[in-house]
Amino acid sequence: MTAVDTAPAQVGGVPSMTVTLRIRRLNPEGVGDHAAGEDYWEEFQVEAHATDRVLDALHKIKWEQDGSLAFRRSCAHGVCGSDAMRINAKNRLACKTLLKDLNPAKPILIEPIAGLPVEKDLIVDMEPFFASYREIMPFLMPSGPAPERERLQSPEERERFDDTTKCILCAACTTACPVFWTDGQYFGPQAIVGAHRFIFDSRDEGQWDRLEILNDKAGVWKCRTAFNCTEACPRGIEVTKAISEVKKVLNTGEI
Amino acid sequence: MIEHEYDVVIVGAGGAGMRAALESSQRARTAVLTKLYPTRSHTGAAQGGMAAALANVEDDNAEWHVFDTIKGGDYLVDQDAAEILCREAVDAVLDLEKMGLPFNRTEEGKIDQRRFGGHTRDHGQAPVRRACYSADRTGHMILQTLYQQCIRQQVEFYNEYYVLDLLLTEDPQAAAPGEEVAVAGVVSYELATGEIHVFRAKSVVFATGGAGKIFKTTSNAHTLTGDGMGIALRAGLPLEDMEFFQFHPTGLAGLGILLSEAARGEGGILRNSEGERFMERYAPTIKDLAPRDMVARAMANEVREGRGAGPHKDYVLLDLTHLEPAHIDAKLPDITEFARTYLGVEPYTEPVPVYPTAHYAMGGIPTTVQGEVLRNNTDKVTGLYAAGECACVSVHGANRLGTNSLLDINVFGRRAGIAAAEHALATAEAAPLPANGEARLVEIVERLRATASGGGTESVAGLRKELQETMDRNVQVFRTAESLAEATAVVADVKARYANVAIHDRGQKYNTDLLEALELGFLIDLAEVTVAGALAREESRGGHYREDFPTRDDDKFMKHTMAYATGEGVRLDYKPVTITTYQPMERKY
Amino acid sequence: MTAPELSQPMPRTRKRMNATYRWWWVFQRVSGVILVVLIFTHLFVNLMMGDGVSQIDFAFVAGKWAAWYWQVIDFVMLLLAMLHGTNGMSYLINDYARSRRSRAILQAILGIAAVVIIVLGSLVIWTFEPCPVDATGAFLPGVPSGCPFN
Repeated sequence: MTAVDTAPAQVGGVPSMTVTLRIRRLNPEGVGDHAAGEDYWEEFQVEAHATDRVLDALHKIKWEQDGSLAFRRSCAHGVCGSDAMRINAKNRLACKTLLKDLNPAKPILIEPIAGLPVEKDLIVDMEPFFASYREIMPFLMPSGPAPERERLQSPEERERFDDTTKCILCAACTTACPVFWTDGQYFGPQAIVGAHRFIFDSRDEGQWDRLEILNDKAGVWKCRTAFNCTEACPRGIEVTKAISEVKKVLNTGEI
Repeated sequence: MIEHEYDVVIVGAGGAGMRAALESSQRARTAVLTKLYPTRSHTGAAQGGMAAALANVEDDNAEWHVFDTIKGGDYLVDQDAAEILCREAVDAVLDLEKMGLPFNRTEEGKIDQRRFGGHTRDHGQAPVRRACYSADRTGHMILQTLYQQCIRQQVEFYNEYYVLDLLLTEDPQAAAPGEEVAVAGVVSYELATGEIHVFRAKSVVFATGGAGKIFKTTSNAHTLTGDGMGIALRAGLPLEDMEFFQFHPTGLAGLGILLSEAARGEGGILRNSEGERFMERYAPTIKDLAPRDMVARAMANEVREGRGAGPHKDYVLLDLTHLEPAHIDAKLPDITEFARTYLGVEPYTEPVPVYPTAHYAMGGIPTTVQGEVLRNNTDKVTGLYAAGECACVSVHGANRLGTNSLLDINVFGRRAGIAAAEHALATAEAAPLPANGEARLVEIVERLRATASGGGTESVAGLRKELQETMDRNVQVFRTAESLAEATAVVADVKARYANVAIHDRGQKYNTDLLEALELGFLIDLAEVTVAGALAREESRGGHYREDFPTRDDDKFMKHTMAYATGEGVRLDYKPVTITTYQPMERKY
Repeated sequence: MTAPELSQPMPRTRKRMNATYRWWWVFQRVSGVILVVLIFTHLFVNLMMGDGVSQIDFAFVAGKWAAWYWQVIDFVMLLLAMLHGTNGMSYLINDYARSRRSRAILQAILGIAAVVIIVLGSLVIWTFEPCPVDATGAFLPGVPSGCPFN
């Protein structure tokens, strides 16, 4: 879908405009004057509607100007978590950021998310991020024999961890965290969100295994409540609050 | 070229793939090859729920669910498969709950259930609450929960490996009926390096999802390019019932982004420009909760007859304004946010512009109820399995009921995983790989990569746009012989010009440009069989509506289409429908 | 075709956890609150009470440290401020030092500086002589008027 043909419902009302995108690029094999692995800025201009997503603008570049521009994307409506990137110095999903919400008079700066090794253009190596997630044992650990029907859980108990079930593992929070930027000494906010979802689940009994991991060197005590993560989360999860709740449990010993 | 060997190789890591992997990896050495990180799969975009007759909130039973599924599918459903789907539904939901899935709960702490289109009490008497759900992100929760269980079981994933070819011991079309054709492995392309990897396996499970990108307006992800179906077709296997494509009634107008049927299940109402609740005219009993094909057609008809809303009168309105904002926030938080983000509409106070969007392929790779892939109406391909949207069991027939797809991936994903592992355990050695099995793919990749340095005049994006636009215009909710003839011509033209396509990126690493070109190849092939099946089916049934043949014709077309790709184009054959309990009746709601 | 029960890793019972990182986190917050009180008290006593800033000379300091409780208060302030500040600086070095090597060097300098200041400061507070005398045994000029205090 190109930017022009995405929105017939809005065409007419929304005039098209020229937008400039300044993209932080890197080609692992070298291209033109640029050596392999050298990063550089490149500017593109596209015709777009104010209601287009940044992702639509990136697609216009890829499809009409430079097919070598590399970025990940899939669902294009903010639920798969593929296209987290730094847009005007803030971590966002390209498919959930509309051009009208940025200042189109100035070039829109687009960079890969920070703190993970850049592979090509806007594609980073996600493996360290997923490794942190796996570290906190993100799966239900009940004890005792499984019941024949469902395990019971009241709506209130279910509500207790609702916020952190929204996480789509896009890494916007973790790569917005200044503590995470320092060569992997910290699991990052997402792993704590992932643990929070189980720690506060009334059916789970592995809380103290997870809390022990989060109490360690790379755990919650690294958090300095910068709130970058909360601001970055495209799903509106109160990440810093979730981290604080985990700290509180560790300090009081009560869930 | 790098060679790997496993007992079971699963292609795709969405709901069906990971559900299969959970079963298979406990029994046999299993690898999951996926073109996306598992959590990016489109199962995560499913919203409303997963059907199962738990009877937690209202009287219900599996038999009613079977009936609704068959009637919803306009009697093209294989009834033995539908019985399995609905009877195993309860355990499928309970299994997910035990894995940790956070369902919404009733006051007693049981799994809560909500209404959904086409699900009724007592054979169509009234809507029933059958959909087990987790707000409006049930698919997200299923995907996350299955991924979490895969982490626990240390399932081996090959992330961003694009499977692009299937290796069989014989050409399935050349092989005589009854002769054995076995799977030997798959050929894949590693995105990070551009390397070709051949995976030899005793069993291969295809769980590659849908092909919504053959249409322009679709709820499907950019990555849903029907690779698995396309690979099977090119390998000489048939595709079943591809003309049946579901158009979800409530896509955000102009964008196609999905707004769950749960919006209507929770009380939302569709209105035309006159404010009329028009579904009362089309389905007097269950109104807005009629099956999707009927609602989508009713909406398109309202627009066609000039009762569309908006400046161009090209959409209808989904009205939630009579619902309490707190209720909306609790049950439908995500979809209301989509309306705010993408259309700037506040659903508390304004109706949301909606129009049908291409959503789900009822057809796919034909399989048995154990997930075994068929190479004609009766013979199975030894060791090859398929599950989920890419497969056609067929439990959805001519129209899938909402919430039956999340059920399908869990029930038949599980069955395929078990069957694949058990086949692998019973097989001493994988079939020998054909000599130079990777050659076909290597040749295509090299040829495309060479176009980055010159030669080739057609652009991938340009051809894809032409393909998608003709499909939207001619093969959507309403179809005629003329529209399908036009689509046939455009698809043939696009296919011819595809031979001359050029890419920009000459690199080995992360060459997404190259992959988009390969994906377009699959889209063209699938559009071709879809149009061919639709042209030949001179009747209206479920999601396939021919204005020139507006009624169902059970005498001539109570049969599944089986489409084969041959050197001379698409060859169509037919397969009988399995009927066990319910004789076809007129479909009224 | 029945599936085997999914294997469940059994949750372990709660055990004693390493408290180092938690302790530092709690310390940083508690010391911060205490320091606010101590520092404002210090500033109020030194700058606002009596003649204000002009009163500060050797005699004034000596007069305060002649009382044991001022010695304790100032020592606590010294210790908390140094540990709190050093811990905070250490976080900053972790954040901004680019290489392992520069991080190690900066942390070492910080650690040494903190130890030196705490040791010197403690010596000053606890071994302070309010009424110093010259070689002949006479008080030096500027000693507090109350000398000797015993």
